[in-house]
Amino acid sequence: MLTSRIRQLMVAVLSVIFGISMYVAMNGFMGGVNDSQTEITFTSMAHIKIYNETPDEVAPITTVPKNEQAYSYVSNTKNINYTEGIKNVDGLKNILQDIDNITGYTAQINENVFIQNGVLQQSATLSGVETETENQLFKTADYMVEGNFFDIDKRSDGIILGIGLAEKMGVNMGNSITLSTSQGVKKNFKIVGIIETGAMSADKSKAIVSIRTARQFLSKNRSYATEVQVNVEDYNQARQVAKMIAPHTKYKVQAWQEGNAQLDSSSFLRDILAISVSLTILIVAGFGIYNIMNMTVNEKIKEIAILKAMGFDGQDIKTIFVSQALFIGLIGGFLGLIIGNIIIRIIDHVPFNIGPMDSLPVSYRPQDYILAFGFGILFTFIAGYLPARKASKLDPVEILRG
Amino acid sequence: MTNTKQSIVATGINKYFYDPVNFHVLKDINFEVNKGEFVAITGKSGSGKSTLMYLLSTMDNDYEGNITINGQQVTGLNQKQLADFRNEHIGFVFQFHYLLPEFTVLDNLMLPALKLNKKPKEEIEHRALELINLLDVKGQEKKLASRLSGGQQQRIAIARAMMNEPAIIMGDEPTGNLDSKNANVVIETFRHLAKELGQTIIAVTHDHDFAKRCDRIIELADGRIV
Ligand SMILES: Nc1ncnc2c1ncn2[C@@H]1O[C@H](COP(=O)(O)OP(=O)(O)O)[C@@H](O)[C@H]1O
Ligand SMILES: [Mg+2]
Repeated sequence: MLTSRIRQLMVAVLSVIFGISMYVAMNGFMGGVNDSQTEITFTSMAHIKIYNETPDEVAPITTVPKNEQAYSYVSNTKNINYTEGIKNVDGLKNILQDIDNITGYTAQINENVFIQNGVLQQSATLSGVETETENQLFKTADYMVEGNFFDIDKRSDGIILGIGLAEKMGVNMGNSITLSTSQGVKKNFKIVGIIETGAMSADKSKAIVSIRTARQFLSKNRSYATEVQVNVEDYNQARQVAKMIAPHTKYKVQAWQEGNAQLDSSSFLRDILAISVSLTILIVAGFGIYNIMNMTVNEKIKEIAILKAMGFDGQDIKTIFVSQALFIGLIGGFLGLIIGNIIIRIIDHVPFNIGPMDSLPVSYRPQDYILAFGFGILFTFIAGYLPARKASKLDPVEILRG
Repeated sequence: MTNTKQSIVATGINKYFYDPVNFHVLKDINFEVNKGEFVAITGKSGSGKSTLMYLLSTMDNDYEGNITINGQQVTGLNQKQLADFRNEHIGFVFQFHYLLPEFTVLDNLMLPALKLNKKPKEEIEHRALELINLLDVKGQEKKLASRLSGGQQQRIAIARAMMNEPAIIMGDEPTGNLDSKNANVVIETFRHLAKELGQTIIAVTHDHDFAKRCDRIIELADGRIV
């Protein structure tokens, strides 16, 4: 109603646009970074892991000084622990089948082994996997840089190496290598694939065979596994689902957050950083509007007095100025969301070639937009309300006397 | 005490200012104004005319005594009630015409009636155009208020004061800022409203010519009626 100058209005709207678009862009980018971190993590790790907890006594025994006799002792102790594992994995799978929110599960045998190529020797983690379900959970086939993931089903001496491991060993597709267990069992394998997941440590240590091959190699029964990996609908709900599984099994059920507090907390810290920076920008925009509204009230002081003389009461005056501020907030907020979305789309197209990414990671979370708009309206409301209240309390007599 | 003939009854009015020094500005004011009367309040500068007018207009409610307008005691009403009362029953004309400069003439006129919110918009617009005719500013309704001449603006201000068919039109030196020709037009307009339409009008002035053409003069000196 009492419109301030167009230029002031534009400045106010622009500051809201700036604040809200920065909020959307910052949080969209941080969300993307967090999501991609999580995604990389979940290429080698499931949301929930079920395994047979190794007794604590193992640790001190492994620190025994290295002389010939002590060595054989350690080896024996380890042996006993390894035979634990999960003996009847099919029974466990039957239990998992009946629990809601579980989107998939796969059994694995993970075992530390040595890989030899001539004189070169490296320690590695051998993973015996069920290719079908493994691929469902981790999209393993997508990360193959050479060869076909499912070829390990076709030949019982087929093995896939992480790209870092293959480089360290100086081997390539088609080459042969020898695996040996800690008990000294040896077997020759042929490299049928190379994989790159983007998780550096996994790529440097992982060797994959079919679970059948792993059982044969380690002389285990046909229902043996060291762990079962479980994925759930929403990885943030992993803890709750883990609690649902636990009563049905004697094995340890561990949600991903437990073994990876640093992942969880760094995501959280990034979110806090993004929100506080973008809220600061919004608050600064709020101050801008406050200033402009205050100036408007001072400029329109005569008009306010006339309106009061005509019978407009304090509430009417307040409504006029608050609705002007909200108008600024709505227009600025709406345009800010659009521009924020455009910025995010641009970031989404900036090339960035690390791991599985080919452009900068972003997310399009509805809550970023809802919160940005909500905070924007809240701050413009406050920024408009204070000058409006001042205007509503002006004494018309004092002003009209001149 | 009040009867249906009386428009304003003011009894025992005393008003003080405390800042910068204690100052007894209005002293035991008692008077009545009948319906349809055209009354001038005169007196030297500083005698308290404007102060009295702001009390009568209900914009200032910090006083001793009692004011009744059209049978309704306004003394003691709260701010919101006073605003509504003003909106419905009192039209005010200032020395400086004080239209909203960024609004059209028509919008300026319609504003008090839209606030009153008792008639549909078309009827309000119709009433505004009628008043524009009555006050002889036809053809200006779509212009911005700030584009009109001083005399025209003051006539629009009078029209605005009349929009809600108020019980009283009050003016604080409504001709004080006009040349004699325009002042004459405004005085004639007031006379016409009072004589032909029975409109009660009370106006502060120190223009003798203005005062002479009123039905009655209330003169103030040092905050007292003489
Ligand atoms: N807000 C105020 N505070 C203190 N004194 C005031 C105030 N307003 C007016 N006065 C004083 O009250 C007296 C009457 O003022 P006013 O009613 O404006 O006189 P008039 O309209 O007759 O010229 C003057 O002496 C003026 O200085
Ligand atoms: Mg005065």
